[in-house]
Amino acid sequence: MLENFIDFLSNGENLLFIIFSMLVIVGAVFLINLQRVVHMVIALATTFISLAGLYVMLDAEFLAFVQVLIYAGAMTILMIFGIMMTKHEKQNEEPKRALHNVLLLVGSIGFFIILYLAIQDAVFPIQEFTSNEENTKMIGIELFTWHVIPFELVSVLLTVAFIGAIIVAKREED
Amino acid sequence: MISSYLTLAAVLFVIGLYGALSKKNAVIVLLCIELMLNAVNLNLIAFAKYGINPSLKGQIFSLFNITIAAAEAAVGIAILIALYRNKATANVTEMNSLKK
Amino acid sequence: MESVFSQLAWLIPLFPLIAFVILIAIGKQGNKWSAYISIGAALLSFVFAFLVLFERLNGTMDAYTWDEFDWLSFGDISIRLGFEINNLNAMMLIVVTLVSLLVNLYSKAYMKDDHRITVFYSYISLFTFSMLGLVISVNLLELYIFWELVGVCSFLLIGFWYEKESAKAAAKKAFIVTRIGDIGLFIAILMLFWYMPNHSLNFTDIHNAFSTNSIPIEAWVITTIAILIFVGAMGKSGQFPLHTWLPDAMEGPTPISALIHAATMVAAGVYLVARTYDIFLASPIAMEVVAYVGGFTAIFAATIAIAQNDFKRILAYSTVSQLGYMIMALGIGAYTAGVFHLFTHAFFKALLFLGAGSVLHALHKQDIREMGGIWKSMKVTTITFAIGALALSGIFPFSGFWSKDAILTEAYHDNLILFIVGITAAFFTAFYMTRLFKIAFLGSNRSSDKPKESSIVMTLPLIVLCILAVIAGFVFTPFNPWLGEWLTGNVVEEHTNWIVMILSTVVAVAGIVLGWIVFGEKSVSQSAKSRNWAYNVLANRYYVDEIYEWTIVRPLRILGLVLNTIDRFIVDGLVKLTANIVLATGRASTRMQNGQVQTYGLVTLIGFIIIIAAMLGRRYF
Repeated sequence: MLENFIDFLSNGENLLFIIFSMLVIVGAVFLINLQRVVHMVIALATTFISLAGLYVMLDAEFLAFVQVLIYAGAMTILMIFGIMMTKHEKQNEEPKRALHNVLLLVGSIGFFIILYLAIQDAVFPIQEFTSNEENTKMIGIELFTWHVIPFELVSVLLTVAFIGAIIVAKREED
Repeated sequence: MISSYLTLAAVLFVIGLYGALSKKNAVIVLLCIELMLNAVNLNLIAFAKYGINPSLKGQIFSLFNITIAAAEAAVGIAILIALYRNKATANVTEMNSLKK
Repeated sequence: MESVFSQLAWLIPLFPLIAFVILIAIGKQGNKWSAYISIGAALLSFVFAFLVLFERLNGTMDAYTWDEFDWLSFGDISIRLGFEINNLNAMMLIVVTLVSLLVNLYSKAYMKDDHRITVFYSYISLFTFSMLGLVISVNLLELYIFWELVGVCSFLLIGFWYEKESAKAAAKKAFIVTRIGDIGLFIAILMLFWYMPNHSLNFTDIHNAFSTNSIPIEAWVITTIAILIFVGAMGKSGQFPLHTWLPDAMEGPTPISALIHAATMVAAGVYLVARTYDIFLASPIAMEVVAYVGGFTAIFAATIAIAQNDFKRILAYSTVSQLGYMIMALGIGAYTAGVFHLFTHAFFKALLFLGAGSVLHALHKQDIREMGGIWKSMKVTTITFAIGALALSGIFPFSGFWSKDAILTEAYHDNLILFIVGITAAFFTAFYMTRLFKIAFLGSNRSSDKPKESSIVMTLPLIVLCILAVIAGFVFTPFNPWLGEWLTGNVVEEHTNWIVMILSTVVAVAGIVLGWIVFGEKSVSQSAKSRNWAYNVLANRYYVDEIYEWTIVRPLRILGLVLNTIDRFIVDGLVKLTANIVLATGRASTRMQNGQVQTYGLVTLIGFIIIIAAMLGRRYF
């Protein structure tokens, strides 16, 4: 048992996976349990960066880069701005929704069990994607040859969303 | 190996779900939703490497996903700020105008 | 002569029906003039009935039948509605319309202070319509419909003063007890429908089938049908053992007692037996049952009447007794005599009841021990009542003498036991009528009220009925058996039986004399002390009500209680449980709709899990 465990950990990839996934989960748990909102955002940033590490392990270097750039960078900053623009007391007063919380806990655990069983039940092929050295280049070719229309649509969507966000958040002067 | 990633994604998703449904602060709720989206992304990328038909398509899909998530976060925060301006609270439990 | 008016006979029940519809529609506003509508309708019906009768008197024996209205048809069979006019129901028509007209008139004064007089008149009109419909019905099913309608009217009118607890109880009792009989009749109709050729229920077909013995029906079936029909007649005509409702029915207004519970509706049973007489003739056993039940009821009720103190109850038991006479007459084969007694009885019993109503109206009490001395102030009522009482007692030359004599003569030839029963009952009849008359009308005034003679509207019907009570008997005397020929179509040989005539007169006179001696002024005050067991038995009406109470009502009530308990706690419990579950679910769902997105999300999550679990579960089991 212990030998198996050591054996498992002696593989570098496995060790890295364990470390990153630990960081992901710990970050997520801290997000839920920390008291101050700013701390929560930092915990979340940890999770995002660890996820980027996992992406690298999955041969998705470009996505890891994007992850760090957008999530850990832009979005976390956006959230901090959001926090700063609204007032936040410490969440020390316990919410009075006992039934809600119990049901939520049961539901979440149940949902996890279903997912876990489904994962254990599924049969996956052993084949592996041949890792490409030029991941970013391949994505670029793929994106601008086969997926150019979705790409343009998404960019329009993003523009619309940001303009909309500005209009919504703008102070209604008159 | 794939099932390890999937399980990790499931854990992440469930934690995000729990947070989204239990937290009172609207910003934290948004953060938890981001967490859930990330869990989905992790799934997509894992399938891109270890799936039945592995290819780059999974990575491209998650790229779109990240874009949508960014848009969602921006609009979400904007709505939150507008709400806060009107109701002077960021508490989800007090956002029950649907009932009225 | 053409049968013009017979063809128009369907108009006769129509007038009261129109009056009923109008009265029901106008409601309370019509209190002032509702009586005139009803009286007018009754008058029109009477005129038509009279014309029809007149036509029948000159016309042929053939009945006029019309049954072209297809009511129900299934397969080859169709049940039709229509009407039939023959001599028997022409006579019934005149009796019903005449008594109805007089009672309508009488009620104008009797009920004038009642604030529901319109309702009262609408009920009377409905009753008249139903009774006339019953009389001219062309088949048994149609008769049954009107039979039930008549029962409903009786129920409504007995319970007319529903503020009185006793009236309510009496109405329910009347309805339920007659129901028992009605079920018998209904089964009989179904059996007839099953066994009759072509499934015909027409009276004409029944007559043809049974009088010629041409149909292949087994004897026991005929007997069963006949007895079941008789059970129906028993319920309506108050024969033992279903007689108990009739005395209680006296809780209703007195004109109603005269119309429904003396002259017309209770005679419907006798009429039914007369109408389906061929079935009875085909079964000797049924005939004997009919005869003995009738005879027993006649003497049974007559003895009870001796010990009663309620004015109307005495008359009610007298009615039961006289109906027993009619039934007995039919049972021994004296068809004409039975129908004849029905005819005369309608007049003199209506007269007696209306006279009673006149007294009650003046005194506002029903106990004869608190009356007395009425003759001084109410001359017309007293004289007419006396004539009615003499007619009932069977004193020459009043109508009751002739009809009772006709029955007794037949009994004398046919069945000596029933003859003795009949003559004893006649003795008791004279005895209790003397008691009633002497205690209530003669002697000194024991009530605090000063009675005043009723108005002309009330006395006029009395006088008319009084004249009829005197002369109605002459249509069928041993010397002039015209009615018998007219009704049956056969020439009846004159069989004047002096022995019977003298005997019945002697018995009646003896009853009167004995009654006169026994019930002096003293008997009223000392009657309480001098009670012996026989008196008690009679005063308590042979404890029939009590026996029913213990043997039928109580066990049924216990059964009902048990069923009620089951219903309330088990059936109702289940229903309430279901309702409460739904209610609780509703409450829970309401709490879910609190406008909080997180709650909605939670519910969605749980629902999703349940669906997945259900699908998984289905896969595994």
